[in-house]
Amino acid sequence: MKDKIRQLYALEQLSGGHSFVHKLHPAVKLLTAAVFIITVVSFDRYAFGRLIPYVFYPALLMALSETPYSMLLKRFLFTLPFCLFAGISNIFFDRASAFAIGGVTVSYGVVSFFVIVFRVYLCVMAVLLLVSVTPFAEITASMRRLGIPAVFVVLFEMTYRYIGVLFEEAYSMVTAYSLRSGGASGIGMKDMGSFVGQLLLRSFDRADRVYSAMKCRGYALRVFPRGRGKLERRDWIFGSVTCLLCIAFRIIDANALFAGIFRGIA
Amino acid sequence: MLTLQNVTVIYPDKTKAIDNLSFTLGGHENIALIGENGAGKTSLLLAIVGILAPAGGTVEVNGIRLCKKTVNEIRKQIGLVFQNPDDQLFMPLIYDDIAFGCRNYGLPEEDIEARVDETLDLLNISHLRGRSSLKLSGGEKRLAAIATVLAMNPSVLLFDEPTAYLDPKAKRALTEVLKKLRHPKIIATHDMVFAAGVCDRTVILKDGRIMADGAVSLLSDNELMRRCGL
Repeated sequence: MKDKIRQLYALEQLSGGHSFVHKLHPAVKLLTAAVFIITVVSFDRYAFGRLIPYVFYPALLMALSETPYSMLLKRFLFTLPFCLFAGISNIFFDRASAFAIGGVTVSYGVVSFFVIVFRVYLCVMAVLLLVSVTPFAEITASMRRLGIPAVFVVLFEMTYRYIGVLFEEAYSMVTAYSLRSGGASGIGMKDMGSFVGQLLLRSFDRADRVYSAMKCRGYALRVFPRGRGKLERRDWIFGSVTCLLCIAFRIIDANALFAGIFRGIA
Repeated sequence: MLTLQNVTVIYPDKTKAIDNLSFTLGGHENIALIGENGAGKTSLLLAIVGILAPAGGTVEVNGIRLCKKTVNEIRKQIGLVFQNPDDQLFMPLIYDDIAFGCRNYGLPEEDIEARVDETLDLLNISHLRGRSSLKLSGGEKRLAAIATVLAMNPSVLLFDEPTAYLDPKAKRALTEVLKKLRHPKIIATHDMVFAAGVCDRTVILKDGRIMADGAVSLLSDNELMRRCGL
């Protein structure tokens, strides 16, 4: 479990890098990620082909920031069961035939299932890449600068910090339990209630101490850390090109366009 | 200069943690705050930085009286190092942990970077700059926790059980670091040898009251120690 805690924050540790993407203004990265996600989720549920050009964003960011793909993929796999669960019912309820490949009929349900998975993949990658190229403090400072209500930002900060606290407390409790459990694997059902209750109380207590330590160093709900200064030329270029591409792929069917061009050449 | 006058701290369950306590810390004084478990050492430190609101009395730092309006200024001037460094190291990188306080006080990023590097140099832990607290030893965590408050350039330092979780080697290293720091300090500890090595004055607490206040040689008075439950 100690390893899980490390994994949880390992991605953020990459944010101290010095690549072109790392040096971009955090507000630009936050805004482009938001535009990317909004455009990706705005497509209808059968638009698989229209989503393909959007791979440009994670691919570009990954290449420029030199973020290891395996780290991102591992984290995406955590979300996979949720999107599989969300999309699986489509296969059973939406059985109308969409097209056939080599005599095998593919239903609209199957298409929408893959659209959900692909859409989640793109969005999760965008968020993971944002975290891996931007220090957490800069993300929250930018959220405040962009006018997101303080209460949401604080909630976001606290949730993120306390996940680690919860893991650590659970780790020490599980260790103490297993050492006296006579070789039993996991937590016995009869002890589960008090275990979860104790975990909650201990986490509250620990979270309170962490919050005190934060307050001792000037943390307050209404005093915000200063964000990074003005936007530079590279920020404007990166931001506008990325946003324009996202919007262009939303308006224009890039697949049909490229197919038309190739047909014309042929 | 830190002045406490008739400070009383009462917990919501009506337990009196600190009872009418007064003393002054000035110059380059180092006070060892000694007392049995539950004597009120941690409560006193938390009351000084306004985490626990005193039910009575006054806390004054360099002429600024602790109240709701001044609490942030007081916290800027007093650095509290918690007993468990894990409570103090909550950012993904040690650099961010040390920069956290400076960022909250609105320092420009270039100044913050300079301060962080200066502090890391002072404590000889520059190699920890880009590391995660999850991968540090107890001694390294302790020094990193001290760095988080030193970077804010406080005028007074408070330590809650700084030798807890440390092996003898790390304890010796910590003693050297604390001797090097010129700030006036209050060090709450059970470690008499460490206290005698770092401090020049002792305040002994029992049930939230001062039982003795004097030279560090008081620590070798066995009869006094026994009366104070030590």
